[in-house]
Amino acid sequence: MMFSSFFKKHYQSLYSYLYYKFGDYLNPEDKAQEAFSKLWQNCGKVKPEKAKSYVFTIGNNMMLNEVKHHKVVLQHQKIKPKSHTNESPEFLMQEQEYLQKLERAIENLTESERTAFLMNRIEGKRHKEIAAILGISSKAVEKRIYRALGKLREEIKEL
Amino acid sequence: MRREDLIQKWLDHALTPEEFEAFKQLEDYEELTKMQSALQYFKAPEVDVDAAYNTVTTTRKDTSKPTSWFKPLLKIAAILVIGFGTYLYATLPTLTTHETIAANKTLVKLPDTSEVALNAVSSLSFDEDAWEEKREVNLDGEAYFKVAKGKTFNVITDDGIVTVLGTEFNVKQRDDLFEVFCYEGSVKVTYNDTSVVLKPGQRYLILDGKEFRNEEENRKEPTWIHNESSFKSLPLQEVIQEFERQYNVTVKANNIDTSQIVTGSFTHSDIDAALQAITMPLKLKYQKKQNSIILKRD
Repeated sequence: MMFSSFFKKHYQSLYSYLYYKFGDYLNPEDKAQEAFSKLWQNCGKVKPEKAKSYVFTIGNNMMLNEVKHHKVVLQHQKIKPKSHTNESPEFLMQEQEYLQKLERAIENLTESERTAFLMNRIEGKRHKEIAAILGISSKAVEKRIYRALGKLREEIKEL
Repeated sequence: MRREDLIQKWLDHALTPEEFEAFKQLEDYEELTKMQSALQYFKAPEVDVDAAYNTVTTTRKDTSKPTSWFKPLLKIAAILVIGFGTYLYATLPTLTTHETIAANKTLVKLPDTSEVALNAVSSLSFDEDAWEEKREVNLDGEAYFKVAKGKTFNVITDDGIVTVLGTEFNVKQRDDLFEVFCYEGSVKVTYNDTSVVLKPGQRYLILDGKEFRNEEENRKEPTWIHNESSFKSLPLQEVIQEFERQYNVTVKANNIDTSQIVTGSFTHSDIDAALQAITMPLKLKYQKKQNSIILKRD
């Protein structure tokens, strides 16, 4: 069935997008689910080629609604690195330190820089793909990512 | 290729194998790959796609309500209709209307025992519910009022407003004629923002937009309520129109100067006598054909 393959292809992707953009605090998974539920209920009304931007827009709007209610909370929102093992203690120390710097630097990015940059670096998405999701030009995506990279490198050096 | 371009291409995951070799030679290479691998720690958690799929596809029945937008809308619509209806019922004036056709007269009693005699082809309407607050009637045509004493009484016509306290007067408002006779008490006539007070026996007349005022006969009542129409210094045309209203006929007076001023009267009960009363003084002849009458010069 078309819906199931569409779901499997884009569900994680939508969730990741919401996660990078809004952090983990406001339940991005719930919103991703709701967005797909909306699509499921309105299958007949949404054209297949619009389905992807439909769920991304709905997911994003739902998060934004949530953000309105939690404005103050969001300012303290942080992205947590995963815990990790199997390394030598010194390396771990160094690595831990580096990760902390990196985390702080990511926090200092603007929301739009962070979203584009993390989708690009972690999800391995190309500029064009990100541009389609965010509804902006690839050139703008390229600029955001490059600027984010510059900021991160500088901050890590300074810290 | 420039260093910056290589980094840009790397960021777009678009390096060719040769370019990648060149990229490796950059002094930034180590730093960038370190960051790249460290960034993986910030990866969004894996979600359970299958579980989510099941939730989404099974919640459909609970959440899909095809008519859900319609029901609240119906409720709102019902409230609006009821509210609007009540509002209309409570505020709209409940007009009582009396009308007369040609060759017809009627007597109307107003809620305060005031009496109105309505001449042929006239209409009178008033708001019975609001009578206590404002004594007000709308008149189109001719009527004779005997107003009971009390608050201000207004007769509203298309041409002007007649205001009185307690009195007897006649109002005639026809196409280009607006005439008020005062028989008793005093009457205030408002026409085009100017007001005139009439005493008993005075007449106020607007003919083709021109204003006339004069002393009149000392009758106690207009003659028409006793089945006789009388005219003083009015165009023949007005007499003919009144004749048409009283006998429900059409009068053709093509070759006659209907603007000549006449004084006289005709009865409502005998058409031949009435026609003679009109034609003889003017030396005219008349011809009857069913419902139309032709006036000719002698």
